[in-house]
Amino acid sequence: MRFSFDWLKKHLDTNLSINQIADRLTSIGLEVEEVVNPSEIFKNFRLAQIKTAEKHPDADKLQVCKVVDGDGREYQIVCGAKNARAGLKTVLATPGAVIPASGDVLKKNKLRGAVSEGMMCSYHELAIPSKDDGIIELDPNTDLSLSVGEALNYGGGFIDVSVTPNRGDCFSVKGIARDLAAAEAGSFVKPSCVKNDAAFKFPIEIDCMRSDACQQYAPVIAFRMIRGVKNAESPDWLKSDLQAAGLNSVSLIVDLANWMMLDSGRPLHIYDADKIDGVLSVRFAKPKEEFIDLKGNRYELRQDMLVSADNKGVLCLMGVMGSDRAACTMETKNILIESALFDPIFISKTGTFLNILSDSRTRFERGIDRASAVSGLEAATKLLLDNCGGSASDIFVVGSEPKNDVTARLTKAKLNSISGYEIDWNIAKTILKKLGLKEISSSDNELTVEIPSWRNDLKIEEDLIEEILRINGYDKVREAKFDEVVAVNDRKLERMKTNINVIRLLASCGLSEVVSYSFIKSAVAEEFKENKKLITLINPISSDMNTLRSSVIPSLLLAAIRSLNYGQEKIGVCESGSIFYDDCKQSSCIAGLRAGAFSDRNWLQQARVVDAFDAKRDMLVALSGFGIGENNISIESTAPSYYHPSRSGTIIYRKKPIGFFGELHPKINKLFGISEKVVCFELIADDLSVSDKKQPYQEKVFPKINRDFAFLFDARASVGNIVNAIRKLDSRISSADIFDCFEVGLTKKSIGLTVTLEAPDRTLTDDEASEVSNKILEFVAKEGGELRTK
Amino acid sequence: MSELDRLQASCLFEIEHCDSLKKLDEIRTAIFGKNGKITELMKQLRALDNEQKRQLGQEINLAKTAIMERFSTKLSEIEIRDLQKKLEAEYVDVSMPVRPNAFGKIHPITKVAEELADILSSYGFMFEDGPDIEKEFFNFTALNIPDHHPARTMHDTFYLNMLADEHGRKLLRTHTSPVQHYTMISHKPPFRMFSIGRVYRSDSDATHTPMFDQVECLIVDKNIGFAHLKWILLNVLKKFFHVSELKLRFRPSFFPFTEPSVEVDIAYELKNGKMIFGTGDKWLEICGGGVVHPNVLNCGHIDTSVYQGIAIGFGLERLASLKYGIPDLRGYFESDDRWREAFGFSHVAK
Repeated sequence: MRFSFDWLKKHLDTNLSINQIADRLTSIGLEVEEVVNPSEIFKNFRLAQIKTAEKHPDADKLQVCKVVDGDGREYQIVCGAKNARAGLKTVLATPGAVIPASGDVLKKNKLRGAVSEGMMCSYHELAIPSKDDGIIELDPNTDLSLSVGEALNYGGGFIDVSVTPNRGDCFSVKGIARDLAAAEAGSFVKPSCVKNDAAFKFPIEIDCMRSDACQQYAPVIAFRMIRGVKNAESPDWLKSDLQAAGLNSVSLIVDLANWMMLDSGRPLHIYDADKIDGVLSVRFAKPKEEFIDLKGNRYELRQDMLVSADNKGVLCLMGVMGSDRAACTMETKNILIESALFDPIFISKTGTFLNILSDSRTRFERGIDRASAVSGLEAATKLLLDNCGGSASDIFVVGSEPKNDVTARLTKAKLNSISGYEIDWNIAKTILKKLGLKEISSSDNELTVEIPSWRNDLKIEEDLIEEILRINGYDKVREAKFDEVVAVNDRKLERMKTNINVIRLLASCGLSEVVSYSFIKSAVAEEFKENKKLITLINPISSDMNTLRSSVIPSLLLAAIRSLNYGQEKIGVCESGSIFYDDCKQSSCIAGLRAGAFSDRNWLQQARVVDAFDAKRDMLVALSGFGIGENNISIESTAPSYYHPSRSGTIIYRKKPIGFFGELHPKINKLFGISEKVVCFELIADDLSVSDKKQPYQEKVFPKINRDFAFLFDARASVGNIVNAIRKLDSRISSADIFDCFEVGLTKKSIGLTVTLEAPDRTLTDDEASEVSNKILEFVAKEGGELRTK
Repeated sequence: MSELDRLQASCLFEIEHCDSLKKLDEIRTAIFGKNGKITELMKQLRALDNEQKRQLGQEINLAKTAIMERFSTKLSEIEIRDLQKKLEAEYVDVSMPVRPNAFGKIHPITKVAEELADILSSYGFMFEDGPDIEKEFFNFTALNIPDHHPARTMHDTFYLNMLADEHGRKLLRTHTSPVQHYTMISHKPPFRMFSIGRVYRSDSDATHTPMFDQVECLIVDKNIGFAHLKWILLNVLKKFFHVSELKLRFRPSFFPFTEPSVEVDIAYELKNGKMIFGTGDKWLEICGGGVVHPNVLNCGHIDTSVYQGIAIGFGLERLASLKYGIPDLRGYFESDDRWREAFGFSHVAK
């Protein structure tokens, strides 16, 4: 809601400055988005007249002008504008002025040797839209002692307020003034009640079905005809008021209707009465009935929309927008004014479905003054008669204005409890009164008020409390401390922090954390979905973001590609995020991905590219963050189809698969057009949580025995899992590690295993060591391995 | 000078002028070995009588001790010198680089989420979580957002291609506030709760991304009101920005789920292009909140004749941007390496 300060002052008698008013507005919840204060903007600007204009001795396109301001002070100005000429009255910026269009501070300077003590300005330089190119040409009769703001019709300046959707009453200058008056920013100028005498009987036949639905959606519609109006171009005051609000001037009649809406929040619709063909009926639209709006856009209406129509069809989509067919033109002689009350939700549904935005819709759907159909029509009639002439009919009313019987009760106890501090009961009562809430009954502890017809947002006790706090000032509420309590054992918080710690661990291994969108392109999502059902968006922001990811890997891959594209050779990224699939399933996932080089060329070690064991190590690092060691998991050599079929694995924990790792399938590389090797891992972290259970402490003091074995296994045997099992074979085995692995022929591999044996309470004997060794040999034999003899 | 004296002098001389371990060992053998000079002298003792034996023996022992002492001094001298030589030969250029060991960066969202979690839990807020995929009822209705509210339209909210159920259409949550409802249903008041998570809105321009992160705080207690909201907010933000004084502006506003509602601006000033908080006369919106609307409490089965609530919601990216001077919102989700290098945090940063 943008308006001029002068306009506001018609409704508010105040001594406050525009800046003070702006501060007050923000503090009562009418947030000011912009204040245009001409005395600030035009500081160091003045009106001036060019006395002489002579060609610059050293520059063809410049003139050296002698300029005199309203105080008789003379300036030498070097000017390049073609229209600079002796006698011209214009706007002069002097040193220190901030040029609105550029934000630059003007300085005294020299142009080709000639001193210039300022700049004569164009509309463009003052950030005022205009077709004129050169410097501003003021009316020759302009009094040079006026301020620049006055000469340019800035008046007292402008305020732009962002009105919250609950405050339908403040979509008008009058409503804003009323709220300011309640906050003691001035006194509200009460509008006088007008009544226009009828010169003739309302002559138009109105056919209005008063069904229950119609009564509900349009409780009251008031009509009046004015004959013999004279439409014209609007006067300057009207044009500039509308311009301040961002509306274009159309013609006097249309502009007055718009001005009424801005001034008092009362939307009107004005028909050219001569263009109504036959009976004017107010009814629900016919199925798929066509409506053409003022701009010529065509809409197909639904049966739950209210229209006014004549023999030729729809004239007005009620409460939202009129059609071009009965619009007023300069030739209009007789007009029909419609002033109605519509149900906010009903208007909102119509507007939303057809996607029509209008000032009328904005006001109706936020709720206008419920008692303004007739009084607003009277005020509008007077305005039109005064400005356009003509004579008015009596008023024809369909339905009736709703009774104003909304009341609310407030108790002192609730007021203090919601506020959190004790607020003076008398101040509270005064504020409500100033806002127009009439006391019905009142005591020391409670009161009942009648809600005024313009405040559709006030319903319950809490609403009244907000009004009191808001007008009294939120800054007056003293902060109240409450007891700090020590957080209880918060397992969910620990769970969340564990995920963060895991990311920190991965970062310590060289993986950088990314946060990716949950939605990706469906073609990409398809490649990673496996047997899951993908969830798609009905209304994605773009087709690149139309499907919820069922794996974090594609997000990380896209991040890696981004880095590869600008020449990074060593890429490591990780993410802790959600995946979505099947019927609303959501899982928390931790994933990491490396691409290209694992390490750069270095004088101490050879460069190498990433391999599946980097991904496996990253995965083990992540698992260690959840307190899960290599001993607690086993690996199955299967994985989803986007992994390399023989260089990938599934992680089994507590007999359940919890994730995958390995090299990415070359088909994925091909799909994304990348030649670098990519390895990755992903863990479903839903069921992983850190246990703080501790092992009993055992001091190991007795000597250890080491035994080395060389085994032959089938080339495809999962030796890692076999060794994991060996560790658990006997309590005396304290470690078992593979120190060597090489291929033997095409079908076998040799595994060098070193096993450490010890006991907490004794030195192991050779017999015991042999017993354990035999156990290992037996187990290996069972798993298909054999002792290598050579 | 006796023969012994001469022997001692010559031994000491030899030792003194020895310059290698090998030679020192030869000298040792030549003196104390099987046929060494001292050994030979000791052998001569056998032929002497007891008195002479005792006297000469004593003298020999004295000489022996003197030689031994000098010997061990020399030995350690040579050892030290040799070690020094060896170490000098083992020279490496320590200015050369190490084996590469790259560290990754922590995303600012994670950093700020953890900071806030620590601050809020220190005030007794417990962490609660909710799903990203929501239903109309929990995302809107339970929060007193009416059926016709524009936030419910396809223009604002992402809906999913799934069948609606008794709780309405499925959508991506537009705020973390549904967690308020879940907490009310599952906890007996009084309680303090916070939640942090991803939210989605159909918006994409320079200052909006279709996904962002929110922090939600809720207190349900007897006699908890607007004044308490001011106190907790002031203290949480002071801790977050590490300032002892903070200027906040509480502006009345409107949200369907709170009454009264407030938007909060933080004061700042620009110093050399950097934002300094706590002073200044410029204002920047930082969060919204208010006293929980009774309809929301009722829907969460909270007895409104006994309990009230206050709620606050922050945008995590905005907090991160303000605290750490991160300019562009879009950078958060673009996974650009250079952005991470500039705005990411060390893995040990606390």
